[in-house]
Amino acid sequence: MKLRGVAWRAIVGLLIAATFQGAMAAALTVTVAGRGGAVLEDAAVYLEPLDAKAPGLKARAVEIEQKDRRFSQMVTVVQAGQAVQFPNRDNVRHHVYSLSQAKLFELKLYMGVPANPVVFDKPGSIVVGCNIHDKMVAYIHVVDTPWFGKSDAAGRVRIDGMPDGRYRLKVWHYGLANLDAPADQVINIKGDAGSSAVQLDLRPGIQ
Amino acid sequence: MTDSSVQPSASRGIFSIQSLRARIILLLLALLLLVQGAGFVVIRGAINEHARRSVGEELTVGGRIFTRLAEQNAGKLALGARVLASDYGFRTAVASDDVETIASALQNHGERIGATIARFYTADRRLKGSNAGETGGADWMIDARRVDELIGRAGREGWAGGEALIESRLYQLVVVPVKAPVMIGWVVMGFAVDRSLANDMRALSRLDLTFIAEGTGERQVLASSLPPRTAAALLAAGALPRAGSAGEKHIDGEDFGVLVVGQTGTGQLPVSAVLQRSISEAVAPFAQLQLTLITLTVAGLLVSLIGSLFTARRITRPILELTRGAQRFGAGEYDQPVAVDGDREIGDLARAFNHMREGISEREGQIRRLAYWDTLTGLPNRDQFLEKLGQAIAAGANEPCAVLMLDLDRFKHVNDVLGHTFGDALLRELARRLESVLLRRSDSVARLGGDEFAVLLPGQDVAQARPIAERLKHALEMPMQVEGQAIDMSAGIGVAAYPEHADNAALLLSRVEVAMYAAKQRQAGVLVYDASIDRKSQDTLSMLSELRRAVENDELVLYFQPKLALADGTVTGVETLVRWVHPKRGFVPPGDFIPFAEQTGFITDITRWVMDKSVQQAARWQVEGIDLSIAVNLSTRDLMDLELPERFAVMLACNAVEASRFCLEITESAIMDDPQRALSTLDRLHAMGFRLSIDDFGTGYSSLAYLKRLPVDELKIDRSFVSGVETDRDDAVIVRSTIDLGHNMGLKVVAEGIENEAIWHHLRQAGCDVGQGYFMSKPIPATQLAEWMANWRPPVADELANRPAPALYAVN
Repeated sequence: MKLRGVAWRAIVGLLIAATFQGAMAAALTVTVAGRGGAVLEDAAVYLEPLDAKAPGLKARAVEIEQKDRRFSQMVTVVQAGQAVQFPNRDNVRHHVYSLSQAKLFELKLYMGVPANPVVFDKPGSIVVGCNIHDKMVAYIHVVDTPWFGKSDAAGRVRIDGMPDGRYRLKVWHYGLANLDAPADQVINIKGDAGSSAVQLDLRPGIQ
Repeated sequence: MTDSSVQPSASRGIFSIQSLRARIILLLLALLLLVQGAGFVVIRGAINEHARRSVGEELTVGGRIFTRLAEQNAGKLALGARVLASDYGFRTAVASDDVETIASALQNHGERIGATIARFYTADRRLKGSNAGETGGADWMIDARRVDELIGRAGREGWAGGEALIESRLYQLVVVPVKAPVMIGWVVMGFAVDRSLANDMRALSRLDLTFIAEGTGERQVLASSLPPRTAAALLAAGALPRAGSAGEKHIDGEDFGVLVVGQTGTGQLPVSAVLQRSISEAVAPFAQLQLTLITLTVAGLLVSLIGSLFTARRITRPILELTRGAQRFGAGEYDQPVAVDGDREIGDLARAFNHMREGISEREGQIRRLAYWDTLTGLPNRDQFLEKLGQAIAAGANEPCAVLMLDLDRFKHVNDVLGHTFGDALLRELARRLESVLLRRSDSVARLGGDEFAVLLPGQDVAQARPIAERLKHALEMPMQVEGQAIDMSAGIGVAAYPEHADNAALLLSRVEVAMYAAKQRQAGVLVYDASIDRKSQDTLSMLSELRRAVENDELVLYFQPKLALADGTVTGVETLVRWVHPKRGFVPPGDFIPFAEQTGFITDITRWVMDKSVQQAARWQVEGIDLSIAVNLSTRDLMDLELPERFAVMLACNAVEASRFCLEITESAIMDDPQRALSTLDRLHAMGFRLSIDDFGTGYSSLAYLKRLPVDELKIDRSFVSGVETDRDDAVIVRSTIDLGHNMGLKVVAEGIENEAIWHHLRQAGCDVGQGYFMSKPIPATQLAEWMANWRPPVADELANRPAPALYAVN
């Protein structure tokens, strides 16, 4: 285990070297855990290329549904510029909003699918809530790279399709003490055999 | 006189009745007061205890209320803070870091709920805005640690509440998170805990609330519903009871129940919330009750007072009435009955009183009749006469008032001879005549006693009275027809008048009596009082008192004259004679006082004295072996004295002397005054063994028939015959005849007044048994008797026999 002092308090232990696949697309598997070792689900894991400019957005449809007075997923990771729909599948109105600096928006009391999706054009973390239902919380993490993923129940995430090279591996979780400061580390990715494990320092009370 | 003796007792009576009434009232009131007082004390104690207990309970409840109030305040504060924290605009402002808006929203919401403090802290606990204006201004002196602590707790628990001391002021703070929707900061809101909260507490619970800073520094009152002075006193009252337990404190002259509630929440601020309950205030409602009770007590006392007054009056009024009635009876007013309309006891008493009144009235009437009227003649008696006389004198101060007094002559004789019935009839006739003579209505006749009558002539002087007296005398002297017998009566009438002869009734009566006796003595008929008459009676009075004194002081002396047997000259006995040696006047001749003593009746005293001394002398002679008979003189009065024999018997018995040693000499006249009685006394004396002698025989009008019946032993020939026996032929004949008479009747004959030897011989030859006289011896004291006896030589009979006695039969 190797500790690195960084401005924000993330400690990343690097266990294994990346596997290179030449010019061919490489892949990386990252396991995210908390300080205590418990695996973390819903952690946004993404790679920012250090050597080249990241490719632009490939548009796709992203929805964060409101059903049973809950957001359909806790964490949604999107590339900057992505439009996200907030369809209301409940029979009560919702007032979805964000006061986060990365994206301030407000969908005033509505039913069904709002006319316009919300476009998240700036990287950063956004907390989405409902002004009617205080308990409804969802996080949108906007990244500036197409190579990103979200950890599963086992805390694992596989990112692929990126060329070999040096990357900044960033891991974000809504439990972070500072939501604007994801853990990051620089890694060399080569081939498909790379895997990484990240431990995050979380706020007290988060798993 | 009557009044003054009755009055004090009357007032005492009324006083005691009043005090009885007062006692009844006092007793009733005292009992009532005692009961009421005891009740009052008990109730007062109970009230006090109850008040203190209820104060304790109130404090306990108040503690809960306070806790709840504090919680509610905190809740209200928290609610306000939450409203702010969830306000979309506020959150937007926070998100956009719009400090101005944040401050404005804080101010707005702070005002909305009346919070003194409204602040916003960022998630990393930096102060971002405040209702007080400048962020992080100088008045932001909340203890950072305290805020940190509260935020920490709010982070854990969703919200936090607690107190904080800021610049010596106490605040209740709440901290709530601002979520968007995750926590983006903290809203801190606070109320100043000041007097208004304490006043709310007081309004809710009637309890005073005081917050005291107990910190390490100076203790101080932070806020209180008490007046500042009292709050300061509470602070000065020293250590408070432990939190949660009630106690009592004497604060500012008042008792307070005190409970330290402590602090809500978990804050460890050194602040005590102290509840106070004024005990006197708690007692106040009961004070009203007590006042009512006192009012009731006073009212009860008044009612009882009136009731007891009424009762006491009911009891004492009849008693008072009875007392007054009794006083009236006492004063002699019987005409008015006691008016008591009570039933039962009092009524019975009143009836008994009235019954008594009638009885007394009736008997007093009888007594008055007996006291003021003569029952025989129906005339007023002496007492009434005296009263009338007194009244007449008093009524006419300058008017004269004459009094006549009369006494019948020989009435006693009439009574004796013709009987008492006749005497009474005579007196009634006399009374009728006296009344018939009086012309004026105001004149009145009274019977003073016996045959003594008096006439009152008011307004008349001596000159006017005299003719009336003469008329009376004339009327009396008219022959009277009584019980078919004609009888002539005469009387002595005395006249005296006021103011000429006396200035008061009693003296006037005694003066007129003197005049009457003088009139009788002089056979003068009517005699007006004169001072010269009285002088004699004055002498008599002084003589009497002197004689009495003489007997008491033994101024009297007993002398003895020997009695000798003429036949042989031997001494057979002595005659006792009394002599008076007056301390100033010297020797008083018997003739000067014996007749007087006989007249006044004092002779009986003298006789008693003589007999007493004689018996004692006899006893002495008995011891000395001198055998002499002792002769003692008795007077008429002595013979009338029915107790005389007994008295003599006692004297003899006391000295162990035989009666036979004595010879009692009685004059003829003494016996003839009341022969019946005299005879009875003499019989008894004779039976006792006394020898009896008729003294002065021949001087009275002795009836030989009486003489025959008398139990006498000797005759004593009067000296008037004896002294002339040698010179007067008649005397000689009388003496000789008397001697013969005596001897023939079996009596011893004694001659007194033998003055010479010739008489001695003459009598001896005439056969007289015993003689006494100056020839042998004058009366001498007992001390000289023995000497005389030793020297006594009887005359020689032969010489005498041979001696011629020319004078014996001399004619002259």
